[in-house]
Amino acid sequence: MRLARAYGRAMWDARLVLAYTLLLSLTLFILAPFLMIALRSVGKGWFGRLWLPPQLTLDWYRWAVEVGNIPEVMKNTLIIGVIAVAVSTVIGIFAGWAFGRRQMPGKEVLMAIILLPRMIPPITYALGVAQIFYTLELVDTYLGVALAHVSVCAPYAILVLSATFEGLDERVLEAAGVCGANTIKRFFYVVLPLIMPGILASMIFSFTHSYNEFTLTLLTYGPHTVTLPVRTYLAVGDGYWEITSAMAMLMVVPSLLILAVIQRRAKPEKLVGGFKGV
Amino acid sequence: MTDVTIEFRDVSKRYGTLVANDHLSLAIRKGELMTLLGPSGCGKTTALRCLTGYIRPDEGRIFIDGQDVTDVPTHQRELGMVFQNFALFPHMTVQDNVGFPLMIRNLSKAERAQRVAQALRLVRLEGYESHYPRQLSGGQQQRVGLARALVYRPKVLLLDEPLSNLDAKLREEMRFEIKEVVTRLEITAVYVTHDQAEALALSDRVAIMNRGRLEQVGTPEEIYEHPQSRFVAEFIGLSNFLEGYVQAVDGDTMVVSVGGLQMRIPVLAEAGPGQRVLLFLRPNEVELLRPDDPGGANVFDARVEKVTYLGDTLDYRLTFGQGLTLRVQSDAQRRFGQGAPVRLRFPRVRCWAITGN
Amino acid sequence: MGTRTADMMRFWRTHASRLITLFLLLPALAGFFGLFFYPMLLTVILSFRPEGQAIGWTLENYTRFLADPDGRWVILLTFILSLGGTALSVLLSVPLALILREKVRGHRFYRLMVLVPLVVPGLIGALGLLLFWGTRGWFNLFLLQFVPFVQRPVAVNYTMHGLIMFYVWLYFPYTCITTLSSLESLDRSIEEAGEVSGATRWQVLRHIVLPLITPGILAGSVLTFMAAFGAFSVPLIAGGNYRPLAVEIYKQISVPIPARWSAASAIAIVMGVLQVIFLSLYMRFVRRAGGTGGPS
Ligand SMILES: Nc1ncnc2c1ncn2[C@@H]1O[C@H](COP(=O)(O)OP(=O)(O)O)[C@@H](O)[C@H]1O
Ligand SMILES: [Mg+2]
Repeated sequence: MRLARAYGRAMWDARLVLAYTLLLSLTLFILAPFLMIALRSVGKGWFGRLWLPPQLTLDWYRWAVEVGNIPEVMKNTLIIGVIAVAVSTVIGIFAGWAFGRRQMPGKEVLMAIILLPRMIPPITYALGVAQIFYTLELVDTYLGVALAHVSVCAPYAILVLSATFEGLDERVLEAAGVCGANTIKRFFYVVLPLIMPGILASMIFSFTHSYNEFTLTLLTYGPHTVTLPVRTYLAVGDGYWEITSAMAMLMVVPSLLILAVIQRRAKPEKLVGGFKGV
Repeated sequence: MTDVTIEFRDVSKRYGTLVANDHLSLAIRKGELMTLLGPSGCGKTTALRCLTGYIRPDEGRIFIDGQDVTDVPTHQRELGMVFQNFALFPHMTVQDNVGFPLMIRNLSKAERAQRVAQALRLVRLEGYESHYPRQLSGGQQQRVGLARALVYRPKVLLLDEPLSNLDAKLREEMRFEIKEVVTRLEITAVYVTHDQAEALALSDRVAIMNRGRLEQVGTPEEIYEHPQSRFVAEFIGLSNFLEGYVQAVDGDTMVVSVGGLQMRIPVLAEAGPGQRVLLFLRPNEVELLRPDDPGGANVFDARVEKVTYLGDTLDYRLTFGQGLTLRVQSDAQRRFGQGAPVRLRFPRVRCWAITGN
Repeated sequence: MGTRTADMMRFWRTHASRLITLFLLLPALAGFFGLFFYPMLLTVILSFRPEGQAIGWTLENYTRFLADPDGRWVILLTFILSLGGTALSVLLSVPLALILREKVRGHRFYRLMVLVPLVVPGLIGALGLLLFWGTRGWFNLFLLQFVPFVQRPVAVNYTMHGLIMFYVWLYFPYTCITTLSSLESLDRSIEEAGEVSGATRWQVLRHIVLPLITPGILAGSVLTFMAAFGAFSVPLIAGGNYRPLAVEIYKQISVPIPARWSAASAIAIVMGVLQVIFLSLYMRFVRRAGGTGGPS
């Protein structure tokens, strides 16, 4: 008992050291993979027990751009992302307004049902989606892949936006009405500025999910709609680690930009999107 | 010094450039209920936290029962504390909340139950043992907080604005309940509040704080009747201030010239002729007379500028002398209309001068 | 004609509010049915069809998968990976959240670190992890050069413990962020009250803080578990011979020619049902654990 107490006190005294050890290990754990990718993407002749590549080169990037077709892939990813975000945001605004501000019977149940896709592994419905898209000839079209992404993005948009709209203060709207603003003015000058952060957050998160979506994309893509994650997968299959690393470096940049935006403007909890009532 | 239970010796605490506690020195006697009074943000909670050890002062020492506790961790200081937001453990029943300090001290189950029952009886909460805090009203929650703070008979009871989150009526009730419990247990207590009425009603002594500094320490009477600074006078109740200078000192009376008028007031130890002073008067301590009432010392002619009806009193704004204004509250029996001439009488002992700031 | 317009007007007037609500929900419902419900229905139907046929009913797809020891191993493996990853995520997240709450120097940067795995495509993370922990990566280089008695590289990639660690890298942020946000919603004066009552910091942690954030930890771990259970991209490229359910499903439609859609569908349904059952048990447990605790 006394030993335990002494041990406890020692741990407490060393708390700063322990804390920073944990934080630094975490940083290393998280960042080391990227460091390795970065080194691999500029290294040449890096074999055996070497910490750093003996020669530096940018050739792999040239290969990535020319053979890996990264600009084309990037364009696909962005177009698909924009469509997916637009559709999800529209769905999210409509449904979010209904869930957040309107009375309806069985609201909780309905919401749980509509958010059900988040509880089911995407691969299970990806199979069905792929089959439907084959019949409708939506496979290998921007719209098709984007719609597949919507099944992942929309639940997050609905979740974030219902919370936003629910948090909208009725009294502010009333005050605006009392001030003589008509419905349209009220919307543009009062409602919109209040809900804009929520809509932006929802768009950012939807885009992140679309940008990273792999499962549904893999089952609905085609030669014209290769996205970044699929391209990475194909490159890994080809086995050229250097070129793959160069591609990965190019793909990580937009993710980091998104990260900066999230850090600045949104609550990270929303990205995770916890369950109500848990 | 033997009867001093708590002493702050030159305690300072800074947050960045903000000085939350500025060289605080304060001694609290055994069995006394000392109130720290001041506007919010003046550093009361900070001072209390220095006492509990939750924060460590940048400078100065803190003594409890003559022992320097500045470096003693919070959990070894044997204190009891009641919080503004109750700070009950939401996952524990009332029984477990109150029993927590005993559990930590490894008391047996039977003894714990007995002491908890005793503490709950003290705050009149028998029968609520198995309730959770969220099932109780604000007043009941605060009584649980009080029971938890008292259950292990701490040396000192600390209360940080314990009534601020309750509604007005309950506040008044609880005020006396706390006072009664504290007197009955003869425990030393430090009570923090920003409500001057509460402070005057409860305290043996009051310490007034402003911007991290102690302004004045004294009994409620001393603080109310003889404030030593404009801040204290303004903070406790309504006041009028008249600027003037000392003309002459005559025994225990000094003559102060204010706006061309001479007033005779109790002498101030450090004041000599020529000294600038601030005269301070409570609005309800100035007598209003009819214009034809006899004159005398400290009686002046004035005119009513404005009257406000407040129910049991009337609130007058008066002008007199050379551009002096004064606020007077008097009972509604004798009324004067707007523009009416009146006479003012300042009772000699009710005038109080403040030097400096 | 006139009465009909009037009827419609009356209908509109009495049900306007409901109709607007319905209209607002329409896009979401369309998306739900078109992109989730109908696909699921197709998958269910397909899972009962004989392989490669559009008619007939059979249970063979299920019996074959569930009777096969390999199939049962896949299920067990999926649970081992996801539960192992979840448990380790909790062990990592709780101390981490306790530290990050303290606003230590540079805490913004470390909070950012926690978000990185969430925003970076999982495949890129997996690629980097394979490079770092591989036999030629820095991890083994460090072991070989600086740790005595290590003569041969330690295998991490394509092993079960390696895969669990990759899962932690990818999915711990869910637990960590949720735990952190439930910690930050705790009222600090409750802990102060505990300390003044005589509890040491450890006792405060054990008797007050941990019970109060348990619902948050469990809620976060549900998210981590779900992500790990459904993990696809990472085990696909970094799993080696360890193929959890998602990968097994994909193999059924990508490796054999012709693709075995019915078998894949059956496994998918098994996977979905397992997840739903497990989640509802877990949620019930979470509710029970959260019932006594949690700020009101
Ligand atoms: N942890 C802190 N960090 C920075 N400033 C603080 C902190 N705690 C208190 N302060 C500041 O110190 C001053 C005194 O605070 P406090 O003691 O809580 O005042 P009071 O209890 O009298 O209202 C306030 O201006 C407050 O903003
Ligand atoms: Mg305070």
